[in-house]
Amino acid sequence: MKKVISNRVFLFSVLILILVFRFEYIINSFLLLFYFIKLFFTDYSIAAGQCTLNLFDCFLSAILIIILPAVIVIYRKSLRFLNSGVSFSSITIIILFILYVFAPLITTSHPEFQKNINVTKLLPPLSSVDQIHSLKNHDALGTYFSLKQKVIKNSFDDNLLFADSIKKDSVLSYFQKGQRYSLLISGADHSEGDFKISRKHFLLGTDEFGRDIFSRLVYGARISITIGILSVLITFILGSLLGFFAGFTGGILDSSLNRLSEMFLSFPVIFLIILIIALFGNSIVSIIIVLGFSGWMGLFKIVRGEIITLKEKDYFLTAKLLGVGNFKLIFSEMLPVISAPVIVNLIFQFGNVILAESALSYLGLGTGGIYPSWGGMIESGQSYITHAWWMILFPGLALFFTLFMTNSLGNRIKIVFNPRVKK
Amino acid sequence: MVCFIFILLRISPGDPSLKFVSPELNPGLAQKIKESFGLNKPIAEQFIQFISNIFTGNFGVSYEFRKPVAGVIKNYLYFTFVFSLISFIIQITISYFLALLSVKKINGIVDRFLNKTSLVLYAIPSFVLGVFLIFIFSEKLKLLPASGLMSYDSESLSGSARITDYFLHMILPVITLSLGGIAVFYKYLRDNLDEVFNKPFVLNSYGYGLSKKEITKKHIIPNAISPLISIAGVELGILFSGALITEVIFGLPGMGRLTVNAILSRDYPLVVGCTFISGVLIIISNLLADLLKAEIDKRLIAGMIN
Repeated sequence: MKKVISNRVFLFSVLILILVFRFEYIINSFLLLFYFIKLFFTDYSIAAGQCTLNLFDCFLSAILIIILPAVIVIYRKSLRFLNSGVSFSSITIIILFILYVFAPLITTSHPEFQKNINVTKLLPPLSSVDQIHSLKNHDALGTYFSLKQKVIKNSFDDNLLFADSIKKDSVLSYFQKGQRYSLLISGADHSEGDFKISRKHFLLGTDEFGRDIFSRLVYGARISITIGILSVLITFILGSLLGFFAGFTGGILDSSLNRLSEMFLSFPVIFLIILIIALFGNSIVSIIIVLGFSGWMGLFKIVRGEIITLKEKDYFLTAKLLGVGNFKLIFSEMLPVISAPVIVNLIFQFGNVILAESALSYLGLGTGGIYPSWGGMIESGQSYITHAWWMILFPGLALFFTLFMTNSLGNRIKIVFNPRVKK
Repeated sequence: MVCFIFILLRISPGDPSLKFVSPELNPGLAQKIKESFGLNKPIAEQFIQFISNIFTGNFGVSYEFRKPVAGVIKNYLYFTFVFSLISFIIQITISYFLALLSVKKINGIVDRFLNKTSLVLYAIPSFVLGVFLIFIFSEKLKLLPASGLMSYDSESLSGSARITDYFLHMILPVITLSLGGIAVFYKYLRDNLDEVFNKPFVLNSYGYGLSKKEITKKHIIPNAISPLISIAGVELGILFSGALITEVIFGLPGMGRLTVNAILSRDYPLVVGCTFISGVLIIISNLLADLLKAEIDKRLIAGMIN
């Protein structure tokens, strides 16, 4: 097999690329962090009011982008799992990880940001529009707040305008779909302040409300992965505990739980999920809980089956008869055996949850209304299918790559744990 | 299961009678509607009535359609039955032949290509696939209609033209519904066939001088196919209870959409009826799969008798 670049090199180079391209932004983030700490000690009440998730998200990603490359270089001996060569699924995992952690660094606009819809709506990928940034309010605010305005992306910005084209002479005139508007530049009477003119690039185009699809995709990845991880955690706790108790104790508990799981399996899960979500509302928490609960049957069956067969194995009986305590029996004899199928099941479950979440959003029942979601993006893109293919292509591809990654990862781990399957 | 749905429906917030008249507007009328739906009786009484109704096959009257639930479901069930049966037959036959094709030379070019394709197809969510098919075939190429079961002028068409019209409308949904299933069945059957090929009795049969074709036909396929049947049974049951996403994309009148619409409009009798029918269908298809398995592998019957 030929030598290919390893996962470590790939991850490292992507991180460095982000670090170089967004250097100014990272520096600003650190300055903001500095001023925030300063504010925290001088005026506690204002600082406490400033504690939002966006702010800490930004700080965390700025700190991690410095720390992570260093960690990769320093601990290159112990981080063994990064040593293997890149494959399709490992690239997908790394990219998803980066999207998840460094979302504020990668995107240049808030996923819900919309302004001047008549200019920005349904722009094809790689297009750009002129952007006028008014600087009039910046000096009035303190350093902390003006920095914060620069760093934290809001869903609304009063000082920003998008235009098709801009002409600058005595007055600044800009055109929006043929309509001409003008602004007074500083120096003239009735000055409206200074203006910074730049171009705003939409890497993957915009949707019907002029929102940047790339940043919606990135934040949608965050939502999908969060929902996936948390519901898999619920599934894991529920399925393994129930399966463990059913298998270990046996008797009436075992048979009744088994019947219950068969009852749930006899009905397409998606209808049950839709029923519960339609009845109890579709907040992100209820979706996580419902998706987590809906997957327990498979894991329950696996854990229960493994434990029941294990209880009859000779080595287990020997250990038991030798007088090994229950606690040690569970941890040193049972866990190594059942962990492999459980991990494989959980990885597949992760894919299932992401698929189910986007299917729910596609049906208009998911988080699509509140947060950007891949399924919701595809659903809204379907109405514009005749003239905006990018609205469905990119979320569709993102979903496909994620699911493909989980499937191939699950298959590969299954092969690693099961030497009888030959590849 | 049905009892579970009933409990879930009744403890949930929201009142179906609110949909038809607001109590602030006309309290007397609202009360009357509640009475006509039987919602004002105590929960226990409602439950007993509900259970006895199910055993007589009477699911009550749908709030939304103003028709008996059984009649509403019958209309939709007919379509779903035809649709899922067509898709199921396509899935089974295509994956069967593809698996045979790739088993001819394990790890050959065809095998590897089909393996990769099946993994890719398996990972495409049906709504992404459906939307792309619409984009390619009805927007760009303008070959096939994008949604619905028939054209607007379907009534004026003659017999054969109308059948062609139905056929054209069904192509994209059937492809969308089948591709994922083909990938699953293919992968499963191929792995089974491969596993059986490596068993010692195959080598033994070669030793007896049987040709490869004969061994495949008589010994390998029956051995490889029986685990597939139980999966196919589950799949058929799920198809019968409605290929929800496909029906939504293409705007088809199937059980899946009916169930979801009933859930969303809080049409309790219809929800219960749909749940019950799909549960029954799933149980029937699993039973069919078990019977078929017993027919192929007579040892199962012997095991049951013992």
